Amino acid sequence: MLADAKATRGAQLQNEFVVAEAGEVMLEAKGITKRFPNGVLANDHIDFTLKSGEVHAVLGENGAGKTTLMCILFGLLQPDEGEISIRGQKMDFRSPLDAIEAGIGMVHQHRKLIPAHSVIENIILGHPQARGVLKLKQIEEEVAALAESYGFKVDLRAKVWQLSEGEKQVVEILKALYRGAKILILDEPTSALTPVETEKLLDSILKMTRRDLGVVPFITHKLPIVLSLCDHVTVLQRGKVTARLQTCDATEQILAKKMVGREVIFNLKRPEVPTGAQILKVENLSARNNKGIMAFEGVSFILQEGEIMGIAGVAGNGQHELAEVLAGLRKAEGGSINFLGQDITNMSILNRWRMGIGYTPAERTDVGSIGAFSLVDNIFMNYYFDEEFNHKGVLDYKKMQRLTHEIIEEFDVATPGIDTSAHSMSGGNLQKIIMGRVFSRKPLLLIANLPAQGLDVGATEFVQRKLLEARSNQAGIILISEELDEILSLSDWVAPMYEGKIVDFIPIAEAKKETIGAMMAGSYQEK
Amino acid sequence: MTIFGYQLKLVRRATLPSWKAAVFSVLAVLFGLVLFSVVFFQAHVDPITAYKEIFSYAFVNTYGLRLTISRFIFLALVTYAFIIPFRAGLWNIGMSGQLYVGALAAFGVAYAFGGRDSSTIQLPAGLVIPLMMIAAAAGGGLMGGIAGFLKGRWNVNEIVSTMMLNFIAFYLTSKMIKEGGVFMNPGGRGESFELPASIRAPTIMDVPTTIFLVLILVILLQFLFAKTSLGYKIRAFGNNPMAARYAGIDTGKLSVLVFVMGGAFAGLAAYHYFGAVPGVFKIPRNYGYFGDLAFYGIICGLISMGNPLAALPVAFFFGGLSIGGRFAQGKLHLGFGIDYALLGVLMITLVMFQFFYRYQMMWMKKEE
Ligand SMILES: Nc1ncnc2c1ncn2[C@@H]1O[C@H](COP(=O)(O)OP(=O)(O)OP(=O)(O)O)[C@@H](O)[C@H]1O
Ligand SMILES: [Mg+2]
Repeated sequence: MLADAKATRGAQLQNEFVVAEAGEVMLEAKGITKRFPNGVLANDHIDFTLKSGEVHAVLGENGAGKTTLMCILFGLLQPDEGEISIRGQKMDFRSPLDAIEAGIGMVHQHRKLIPAHSVIENIILGHPQARGVLKLKQIEEEVAALAESYGFKVDLRAKVWQLSEGEKQVVEILKALYRGAKILILDEPTSALTPVETEKLLDSILKMTRRDLGVVPFITHKLPIVLSLCDHVTVLQRGKVTARLQTCDATEQILAKKMVGREVIFNLKRPEVPTGAQILKVENLSARNNKGIMAFEGVSFILQEGEIMGIAGVAGNGQHELAEVLAGLRKAEGGSINFLGQDITNMSILNRWRMGIGYTPAERTDVGSIGAFSLVDNIFMNYYFDEEFNHKGVLDYKKMQRLTHEIIEEFDVATPGIDTSAHSMSGGNLQKIIMGRVFSRKPLLLIANLPAQGLDVGATEFVQRKLLEARSNQAGIILISEELDEILSLSDWVAPMYEGKIVDFIPIAEAKKETIGAMMAGSYQEK
Repeated sequence: MTIFGYQLKLVRRATLPSWKAAVFSVLAVLFGLVLFSVVFFQAHVDPITAYKEIFSYAFVNTYGLRLTISRFIFLALVTYAFIIPFRAGLWNIGMSGQLYVGALAAFGVAYAFGGRDSSTIQLPAGLVIPLMMIAAAAGGGLMGGIAGFLKGRWNVNEIVSTMMLNFIAFYLTSKMIKEGGVFMNPGGRGESFELPASIRAPTIMDVPTTIFLVLILVILLQFLFAKTSLGYKIRAFGNNPMAARYAGIDTGKLSVLVFVMGGAFAGLAAYHYFGAVPGVFKIPRNYGYFGDLAFYGIICGLISMGNPLAALPVAFFFGGLSIGGRFAQGKLHLGFGIDYALLGVLMITLVMFQFFYRYQMMWMKKEE
């Protein structure tokens, strides 16, 4: 099916544009080696070749060195050894400015736009042409034409904070393209996108490759996307290239095995767990989003011990706000939340932690961790108030160091040590630390917001197993995910959410993928 | 830059051992001193002589050293007043106001016990002096707390509110000690009444005992940030407010608390500066000048990057330079303001050199 999709896309595009003569080597990196000051060898003699007209995926486990390699290609980091050449010419990038000049653009794993500025302002910002007099009108026209030609739809006058994640992504890409990027580096471009947005993005990426010879090294953990979009795959493992293959020779299983070095089980066994007492009762709950508009309304449900409630929804339908209200980070506009027989609607976040509610946020660097803190201090985030670790206001660092070691061990976190700061962790390993921290509190109620986002296949499977383990230990879990497969393989109840309403509650035995997909898209009609 | 096949590269540091930070600071100071010699040459003064005068008066001459230590105590306390909110990510620009209100409170205690009109006080000094200190801390803390409350409750920008509060405190003080208030000096010199000698802070070898405040505080603050949950909460809030909220930290309460603490330290600084040694409360005539007292706290806090221990040598050094600079200016007949200019240049070089805290320069062999 995926191969079909690719073929049809390709065929459509062939009619629209002249197909580039593929095969010319655009970028070549040889022997790239990078050792961080903390001793981590993130890239170990990596050779990497990009040809024009191809979409090249870089795969690897969390912490394999993908982001590091891309930062080196973009001039953000300097390699200790190795060289980069573009169209056969040797390059020496001191900073991203050099790389931009050489025609490289990068969209980062974490967005770097200024929320208060408009789209067009963000695109102009730092642009070489912006130094002199601004010909705003002219630039706007050019950008609009550029967007049009790739099928991007975005309001150039809108402020960035008003945009969805997908639109922000488009802005980043436009920004790079407007600076004349011929090689576009996308670091996990689809992690935060809705399926529809992802679909659109993929289309545009294909257009780019067919048209401008733009070459796109594409980093992602979503293997189906790799198979449907990319031509070549380079697999990294612990900083080394372990495989180079063509997607026509690959399957998901093969790719997963190459990345992780072992067989990955894609089908989890969900054991029977007897449900226990009622943990959570939500009645007629509603709340507003950041723009002051109602994010969700009239949400009511009951959750029992040993149950996973899978809230399936496309981003932006209120599930994120629902998670925040349950965790206490957002005020409820109306309705009530009852936890273990107690009304907690207006209870402080701290007391919710104390009572056994755990929340793993989707925003890892902004909410879930503190970049400048060591791992030990990051784990203290959920423990500084706990009598076991806080003796009359004095923190027990010895004990916390032990716990940190335990979490690192149990969650198989790749890190040089417990004193490493959070911002030198790779995205996926940071997520493991956050999950490990919250799981270690053995919460009675766990709210997991996009728990597997940005995790590699092995780690995804691992986190999913952990969720099931917590369920076996009688925890009640609210799982928020955009991946229908994840929801279906873990949940006892499936609750599709659309435009701030939970459409239905479906016991897993009766859940059908098509129906739920339609409910998420708002196109389900009651018979 | 390439020289003999070697290439100079800038590399971002992950961590910096504190001894290296200290080395860079010393280098920065030396660099600043060399740079400033230009000014001495301009004034036809041999820089070596000038520096000799400055340093020997500030750090060797017994009378000068005594002034240096007193200035150091003041600077260390105002630096702490800045550091506590700073570690929570908040900017206390209101040290001047907190100082003034702290001093008013301390003099209020003296006044209440008849310290204005008679040279002997009924109560024992051992009681009045601690009371004055407590009042000073409470006054400063209250002043800081207002800004903290506005921040915590309605998210009013603390820089703006502390500045406004500075004006209020300044005019309140003018009123109290110059324009008809009860603290006016009976002699009408435009300053407060003099504290009776019996209730000035005792000294040990001519060093005011307020130095113990600094020594106790540095230990407490180091401990606070390294080991306690309060210190942890302050650091978490300062580094990532959203993450702090997620972790259940009551950021509103914490804003009030750090400003009350900061204000209290400023109040203690005021007690030292006006109450302990000279025993008289004076203020500059115009608002434009009144900042420089406390703004050194900001600079010292920034140079020491919020580290209470590092703040001590920084405060000692700048305390000494301000004393020595003023002395040399008089002795060598230099232009007015040379002392401030010297301090300013050194501060700038110190802040500039902090670049090397974050980046490392390396020579690397370039492969052909
Ligand atoms: N600034 C840094 N300082 C020290 N170590 C770092 C730094 N950045 C990354 N590392 C380490 O280098 C290794 C590779 O990290 P990188 O971010 O390239 O991984 P990644 O493949 O992108 O992983 P993920 O899929 O989790 O995003 C990791 O072990 C990480 O801890
Ligand atoms: Mg990464």
